[in-house]
Amino acid sequence: MAKKRRPTEEVDTDLNLTPAMNLILILIPLLLTAMEQMKLAVINVATPQIGPASEVPPPDQAPDEKPLKLTIALTDRGMHLYARDQVIENKDDPLGPTIPKKDGEEIIDGKPVPGKVYDYDKLTQMLADIKDENPVEENIIINAESHIKYRYIIQVMDASREKKDGDKKRSLFPNVVLAAGVA
Amino acid sequence: MAEEKNQNYEILSESYEQEMLAKKKAAKKGVRGETPAKLTMNSLMDILTILLVFLLKSYSTDAVNVTPSSDLDIPKGKTMLTPEQTVVITVSKSAILVDNNMALGVKDGKVDGAQKRPPEDGYFIIPLNKMLVDAIEKQRRIAAVNPSAGKSLGIATIIMDADTPFRLLTEVMYTASQAEFSKFKFLVIADATEGQG
Repeated sequence: MAKKRRPTEEVDTDLNLTPAMNLILILIPLLLTAMEQMKLAVINVATPQIGPASEVPPPDQAPDEKPLKLTIALTDRGMHLYARDQVIENKDDPLGPTIPKKDGEEIIDGKPVPGKVYDYDKLTQMLADIKDENPVEENIIINAESHIKYRYIIQVMDASREKKDGDKKRSLFPNVVLAAGVA
Repeated sequence: MAEEKNQNYEILSESYEQEMLAKKKAAKKGVRGETPAKLTMNSLMDILTILLVFLLKSYSTDAVNVTPSSDLDIPKGKTMLTPEQTVVITVSKSAILVDNNMALGVKDGKVDGAQKRPPEDGYFIIPLNKMLVDAIEKQRRIAAVNPSAGKSLGIATIIMDADTPFRLLTEVMYTASQAEFSKFKFLVIADATEGQG
């Protein structure tokens, strides 16, 4: 006697993707909102070390030579540079700052306003010349008048760190020491 | 046996034909069939999976997270050194925070003179120092059990508003150095056009 078999039911082999879709659709907006919108970086800065002055000069330094102690002081009029405790004079204006401010656009409340700005290009050039004479020196001391804004300090640090020679970059004075303000 | 099999096939094919016929009829009448319509989601899933992997990869794993606001305009810098996990001192237009906990208020780029030592003219900000001492103590406790965390001991990341006067910066740094912080990292927004190592 012939047995009547039920026709085999078609098995649904598709994956049920709904839970996976739910998860992905929740994760994507979450990650999109948490995505970094700006790249952050840091500048290493040190404070002056308090302690007895080292009596032994560095090996590459002549014993009678004073340490370079390259210092930039920011004032309202411009940048004053000091090396070996001596002011680097501005030949055009011996009484004025080493690098006076130049005409440009100053940023006030986030908007550019015509005014006087620091001459960072000239600073980089001068520091490159000093670096030629003192190739091993890497430290620079930065200080400023008490009301000078933080943004200018950062820009001076950027200008003194390296110089672009075409495609090449030349390290100048990357080790920044921040000193107390100009009296 | 062979006949039996043939019979079965006939039955099967008959029932299949009947089923298809019924479907066609139903379709003609405009009645929906039993099988639900299915979307092809494979390509969509591919896109979403790629997007998910990309987003997970680019997910911000920075040690320092900053929420941009009008109160905190971080200056741009040309450095590309990456931030590290350290104690974070934030100086905005209105407050000084240590690891996102309020230390004291700031008004016109100055802190209240009574909060300083010596009062008015001093560099030492008392509430900030207290919080920084607590922060470094916490770091020390962590370093005692996890030596790899010890390398950030005594390092502070400073996030500062671009309009902050130099005086407040020196006050914050002096106060931090009194709490045994000797190295500082100034956080800037990396200027992609001028980046360097």
